[in-house]
Formats: sequence, structure tokens, C-alpha cells
Amino acid sequence: MNQITLQNDGSIFESNKMVPGDSLMILGCQVELGQGYTLRSFFRMFEKYTLLVKLDAFVADCIQRYRECPKGHCTINDIDHLEFYKTVEMIGFPGEPRLEIYHTLCGVRGAETLEIKLFHLESLLDMPLKLGVLKHVIFGDKVDVFEFDTVFNLFEFIEGIIWELSFQGTPKECAL
Amino acid sequence: MFKKLLFATTASPTCDNAAKVAFDLELKWDAKLIILHVFGVPSRGYSPFVTDARTGEAEEPDADYADWVKEEMKNTYGELLEDSENSVIEAVVGAPHREILRMARKEKVDMIIMGAHTRQEDVGATRYRAIAGSTMQKVAKAARCPVVIISRPCTTCWKLFSNIVIGLDFSKASQYAFLWAYKLAKEVGARLHIFHACDISSGNFGEIQGQNEIEQEIAAARKKIETTYISKMKGYDNYDIEIWEGIPYVEILKFSREKQGDLIVMAHHTRDIEPEQALLGSTVEQVVLRAACPVASVNHPDKVADMDV
Repeated sequence: MNQITLQNDGSIFESNKMVPGDSLMILGCQVELGQGYTLRSFFRMFEKYTLLVKLDAFVADCIQRYRECPKGHCTINDIDHLEFYKTVEMIGFPGEPRLEIYHTLCGVRGAETLEIKLFHLESLLDMPLKLGVLKHVIFGDKVDVFEFDTVFNLFEFIEGIIWELSFQGTPKECAL
Repeated sequence: MFKKLLFATTASPTCDNAAKVAFDLELKWDAKLIILHVFGVPSRGYSPFVTDARTGEAEEPDADYADWVKEEMKNTYGELLEDSENSVIEAVVGAPHREILRMARKEKVDMIIMGAHTRQEDVGATRYRAIAGSTMQKVAKAARCPVVIISRPCTTCWKLFSNIVIGLDFSKASQYAFLWAYKLAKEVGARLHIFHACDISSGNFGEIQGQNEIEQEIAAARKKIETTYISKMKGYDNYDIEIWEGIPYVEILKFSREKQGDLIVMAHHTRDIEPEQALLGSTVEQVVLRAACPVASVNHPDKVADMDV
């Protein structure tokens, strides 16, 4: 699988060359995050690669909210960093047995993971963003979760983060 | 406006946010609050067993067991019950949606309050599943009264109740939803934000709508709102109308956030079909999960029967 590196300034590099702005071929490439990558870097990518905005219904709305945030110091003490990971979950009962694979962006504090939907975007933008592992959950047993190294492609990375950010929007007065 | 409320709960932390709103409403409206928990193993008929939430073991339910469940519910909602003046706890065995609807019909409740999920899950996990809880879907589809769904903590919405967003899709159910939202807005003195989204995502494949065409659609929708809905408001002027183009659920979420909506009211489905045959529309599901405020789905005219439909 071809590898691309997402840089802090939003640019994408493949084999040490910057990828042109209208390229969609990189969507299936394995993602590596450059030094100092944050959630703000993720949004900067859409300014350089405007075609990627069309990948999800919520991208445009998320970008609009990003633009309303301060230009720096958007951090929060409640979490150490943001982590993007994959979950494979086998579900047996109730209902038909099925297997689900999905991506999650969450906050990490020590060994604990925290949902980000209750934090405001302006407190997350400058938090470091890291790629996590694959978590394997069997029949709802979330205590004994197996963890494996894995890779993410660019489509999974964008779609997973935007999905998660689409749940944000709690008014400030409700977060008191 | 609300004399009897039914709070359908799993009596687990997933319903805590809904519980706070339910108890708030009871006090605000001086209403009777029925707190209902349905337990039992899913089966085709009456189940002789229930699954104990704590041990996971199958138990045979009897009167003592139901009393014990009620006692546990009293502990769960102890703090909220302290301030409550007029609430009763009910625990019954059966299929949850059927028992909730049965209780709502028997008690002639004015509103059902529920959480969006039956399990505490990561938002990521809901992506490929039936998005909203299936009990909630079934109740919202068939209930004769409005169903308010709460999926996140809401500290201000019902106490500082000032902005009601009504999402219209011009279906028949949408008219009932509008009348209910109007009735509520008038009662509490809230501003009614009347909203419609022109769906520009559902054109023929590859066909892109021109700006003129979209603007014509917006103008037609505005005219329709003015003739069909505004005429029913009889002098009430605390409202505004907005029509945006885009994907309906994205636009209604954006609109509600912009207007700091305290409640979103919607009909269940986007197509004009019989309510009994309509599945909860995907627009409502997407809004329920993502909205920061409670979402009320209204499907039947029963609670607006006194108004000019």
C-alpha cells in the first residue's frame, strides 16, 4: 500500500513529493502523520485539497465551525492527546450475529479514553492527534479487548474524524 | 398543556439525561410523571423469564420481583425523586415498545420522554447499526402523542425555554408537528423558528441543480409555508421563517445551533405516507443523535385535535 504523510501545515506528501491539490488517488493510501500533527492540521488539509470537502456531508459545516475558532492555543487540560483508532466488533446477542468495523476519534487521558462530543472544537484544535491501534471486541466484552497494530487509509481517516465531529455542537451554556 | 407525562426508561445510565428532563418537566408543568421500566426476555409471546440486569441470569418474574425492580428504580432516581411531587414508578414485563404504547394509551399521556439508545455506546459504533434505538423508533412511529427524545445532557433547554425549531417537510404529519410546536410556543412564550430545507442531494444522478432552480424552489416553499402554516397562527407574531438548501438533516442541525434551539420538533418521515407504515425517517434519526437539544417527533393529530387542522 502506498504511504502518504499528512503534514502539520495541511499538505500531503507521497515519496517526498507534495501531492497535487486535485488528486483523489491518494484516498486509498496508508496514512502517516507528520511531526506535530494536530486537529488543526486536519482542517488545514481541506484548505489545500478542496476536493476532499465533498467526501462527507458534514465537512463544510465542520470547516465553518473551525474558521470561527481562535487561531491558536485551542487546547484543554482534560485530555493528553486525541487518538484515532479502529474497532472490529463481533456481536452475537440480541439479534442476528454480525461483525462491525468502525473508526473512532477520542480523547486520551492516561489509560482512559474520553468521548469528544462534549468538548468544544475550540478546545481540541491544537491537541496532538495520533493514530491508534485496532481494538477487537468479542460479543460485547469491552473489558478483555484485544489490540493489534493496524494501518488507516486517507478515506477512513477523513470520514471517521468528520463522523465524530458531526456529533459536536453542545451549546456552551449546556456544558457548564 | 402537559398534565400527564410518561418517562420510558431502561433505568440505566443511558437514560440519565432523559430522566433529568422528565423530572424537570414534571415540576415545570405541575404534571403527573409516570416512570416506566419494561423488563423481559424478547420472545414471541409473554416471556416466562426476565434477564436480571445486574447478574445477567434468567429469573422468573413475579409480583415480588417487580416490586424489587421498582425499589431499585427508586434508588436509581433517588435524588430526582426527592424533589418530585407527583410521580409514580411502574415496572412491567413484556416487549418494551408494546408496553410503553399500552401505558401511554391507557393513561392518555400528553407526551412520552425517552433516551435515544438502549445501550451506552460510542458514537462511532452507531454508524453501521440501526442508528437510533429500535424501541424508540417503534414508539415514535406508533405513539398517538408526541415523543421527546433526549440523547445528551441538557441543562437549560426546558427551564429557559425560548427557541423552538420546527422542521417542516410539507407532509400531513408535518402539519400536526407544526400545530403542536405552535401550541407549545404560544403557551411558553417561545420564539417559533419555522424551517424547511430544500433537499438538493436527491436529484437525478449526475444532475446538478442550477442556482435559479434552487431559488425558485425556495420561493415556492416560502409561499407554501405562508399559505398553509402561517394562516393557522391567528395573529401570533413571534416567529420567523427560514429556508435553506442542502442535505436536510445537516441543515436543520446547523439552523438549530445558530438559533440556539431548545427543542426541535419534526414529523417522522419525509414522504407523505400513512404514519403506521412509515419508518422513522432517516432525517429524524440523524437529527436525534446529533442535536444538542431534545427532539420531539409528532406523528398524529391527537394532541392538536382542539386546534384548527
